[in-house]
Amino acid sequence: MAHDWQPDFEQLVDEHQSMVFSLAWRMTGDRGLAEEIAQDVFLELDRHLGRIESPLHACFWLRRVAMSRSADALRRRKVRRMDLWVEMDENHGARMEERASPLGARLEQLLATLPEPQRAALVLRYQEGLTPEEIAATLDAPLATVKSHLQRGLKLLRAKAQDSLREYVRVKECTGGH
Amino acid sequence: MEDFENELRQALERRAAPPSLKRKVLEQRSRLRTQRLQVRRAMWQRLAASVALAAALGGGFAWRNREERLKGEAARAQVLTALRITAHALNQMNEELASHGSAGQE
Repeated sequence: MAHDWQPDFEQLVDEHQSMVFSLAWRMTGDRGLAEEIAQDVFLELDRHLGRIESPLHACFWLRRVAMSRSADALRRRKVRRMDLWVEMDENHGARMEERASPLGARLEQLLATLPEPQRAALVLRYQEGLTPEEIAATLDAPLATVKSHLQRGLKLLRAKAQDSLREYVRVKECTGGH
Repeated sequence: MEDFENELRQALERRAAPPSLKRKVLEQRSRLRTQRLQVRRAMWQRLAASVALAAALGGGFAWRNREERLKGEAARAQVLTALRITAHALNQMNEELASHGSAGQE
């Protein structure tokens, strides 16, 4: 079916670069790698531009390819959860001050320690605000699996955040006492 | 749980892409397009050269066939002419021998 909408590549890059870059960064925990992934995603978009039918389709396509490329990059680099956490600490240490709340910054770090499928589901849910159905379509996964990843991921992240907060309070008390 | 989800939502706000990202994407896109164009041009040039070579070989082969056929026809015509001349000479000789024979008997 013919479609009237004519995609403008530069405009699409302007509109979606932050989304694609943030998805790749949160999935890989590596700023440089995220930038490379974002470039690859947009270059692939350029090759598929003729098949993009609408702005919504472009957004869906970019999310899907960004997640898939990030997963490929993780598999290639064989980044383990703990490595990722260390990298997040090293790479984003300077940027954490940008965050208004220290808990928010800690949550972002803790997110990087979750298993990849749970992290993917949570990033799409809370960064992109997608419904479980939309996440399932983006990740090409069954809806029940996505719901399970969301529940387990959220529970695990909450538990880790509580432990982290307790540790933070304990350290504060110890240092405050001296 | 609601508060935790809100905190998570705030923590996971989109980050601004590096300012150089768009420039790098556009530069790479332009480089790739030039490369693709060069590859396509080289492919057409190779195709044109192959067609020209095939035409030259085919033409040469056809010309050689024609030349051989013409030479064959000329040789055949020469043989036929030689046979005609020989037949004519033999006929003349026969006639002379016949006329000498009849003159001797008289």
